[in-house]
Amino acid sequence: MAANIIDGKAFAAKVRAKIATNVSTLKMEHGVVPGLAVVLVGEDPASQVYVRSKGKQTIEVGMNSVEHKLHENTSEDILLALIDDLNKDDAVHGILVQLPLPKQLNEALVINRIAPEKDVDGFHIANVGLLGTGQKSMVPCTPLGCLLMLRDYHGTLSGKSAVVVGRSNIVGKPMAQLLLNDSCTVTIAHSRTKELQEVVKQADIVVAAVGRPEMLTGEWIKPGATVIDVGINRVDAADGKTKLVGDVDYESCAKVAGAITPVPGGVGPMTIACLLANTVTACCRINNIPEFEGFSS
Amino acid sequence: MSVTQLDRRHLFGAPVRKKILDEVRAYLQTAGPIGKLVSISIGGSAEVSVYIRNQARLAAELGIKFDQQCWDSNISQDTCKARIQDMNDSSGVLGVILQRPLPEHINVRSLQSAIHPLKDVEGMNPASIGNIVYSDIALVPCTAAASIEMIKATKLNLEGLEVVMIGHSEIVGRPVAMMLMAEGATVTVCHHMTRSVAMHSRRADVVLVAVGSPHLVGAEMIKPGAAVIDIGINQIRNDDGTTKVVGDVDTAAVTEVAGWVTPVPGGVGPVTVAILMRNAVVAHQRQQKNGWL
Repeated sequence: MAANIIDGKAFAAKVRAKIATNVSTLKMEHGVVPGLAVVLVGEDPASQVYVRSKGKQTIEVGMNSVEHKLHENTSEDILLALIDDLNKDDAVHGILVQLPLPKQLNEALVINRIAPEKDVDGFHIANVGLLGTGQKSMVPCTPLGCLLMLRDYHGTLSGKSAVVVGRSNIVGKPMAQLLLNDSCTVTIAHSRTKELQEVVKQADIVVAAVGRPEMLTGEWIKPGATVIDVGINRVDAADGKTKLVGDVDYESCAKVAGAITPVPGGVGPMTIACLLANTVTACCRINNIPEFEGFSS
Repeated sequence: MSVTQLDRRHLFGAPVRKKILDEVRAYLQTAGPIGKLVSISIGGSAEVSVYIRNQARLAAELGIKFDQQCWDSNISQDTCKARIQDMNDSSGVLGVILQRPLPEHINVRSLQSAIHPLKDVEGMNPASIGNIVYSDIALVPCTAAASIEMIKATKLNLEGLEVVMIGHSEIVGRPVAMMLMAEGATVTVCHHMTRSVAMHSRRADVVLVAVGSPHLVGAEMIKPGAAVIDIGINQIRNDDGTTKVVGDVDTAAVTEVAGWVTPVPGGVGPVTVAILMRNAVVAHQRQQKNGWL
């Protein structure tokens, strides 16, 4: 039996539509417009694409978008001063510093300068700790996107056995925390895990975030399990061009799984949608407005 | 199996505690006075005072000043916060311990967040936990760190080890999971919603349990030769009306199967206070490194 395809693109569009409604509610009933400030240092082409696309989607849902483009050689002092200003700016509810930063800048120092309540990427150490102890926090966008898709598909996740493959700070670790908060039994597997395939095969939910093209194949998956593929890898295609694949071998896994996210068009589109959701959440919290349901952990 | 053979499987906290305290003493000898630990209890309760007595006694033994403060049960949240902020600013205060439980009108988490991360010797500030998640293991929650020291005492190689943590509390289960993962273990966290804990625990090389349920872990849940770390502390009533303290593990039964099992009392418990003192040393080192001292 073929797996259900979890269409991230369609779901992200639905999430954005809901956010747009929430934004207009905020405007009409509370007189506030959520604002997202994105800081880009340098000319990294991939980062430029991301930033453009973030700005565009921010405006589409009716929020304010501010972009700060700084020169490649920007000093730490100047970047920190900008963050201080944005922290104080009442029109800005979310601050995102596009990573990676040029070498002269200390990423941890810069990220931890952002006011935790405006840290819409959820990378500030205080947010990491709050999430790690099951408290209200800003949640990293990609794992939040995975969580929302899983909740949408399953309803409740309580009692399910979940394996997160990969222990990165950006995806694996927060994903595990989120699944725990939703009462899954959670295993974090990684490169040092013995019998990885056997561990994965026990799971009702598999989240793959290792950055290795098509590593998980059909034999790894328990029949009927839900497979969330966070990987985005560019590999050579047969026709001499390149193509995008996930960490999951889609073809073989789709034959075994109960549901699966494709790459592209699965987790990817949810990430920016969740950035917008986080900005709305931050705006509500900062203004003591009740949060909208369904967009946080 | 003879009693002596079984006893050998008991993993006691005393030697682990001694080793940690020896290191603390060695540091204090070269560093000199490192400031004082302030213990804050609010309202005061008998339950807490045993812990505080143990902490105070050990600090005295080591020559670390231990300032036992007991605040009025009606104190306001704001006053507490202001006092803690004064301690953050005071160079004489090495670390702050917030004794639980606190009165209901006090927001524990907000006070924990108020303690400066470099003075957070209990490892309870969200920033301290965040650092653990990011694998920067410095100031760690004491019970979680003590449990991991007990695993290390078995000399098992943590890398690739399959570990099951039963219980996902913010003080023990979650930090244990993160710290073991940082050491390369494959960790599964089980809790009250887990469908079959035994299915997971039977695969594990190490099982830790911290749920507060006497005899929850029986022999049938343990893989032969595995290490079992019992973090539970439960007071139960004997048939004759007296009480005794037991853990979350059916120790007698599990000893027949396991390679190691920590007894209660005498296992993880004694190590926990030692970790608090080690945290005091770590706080001193970090404060120096940040140019505070």
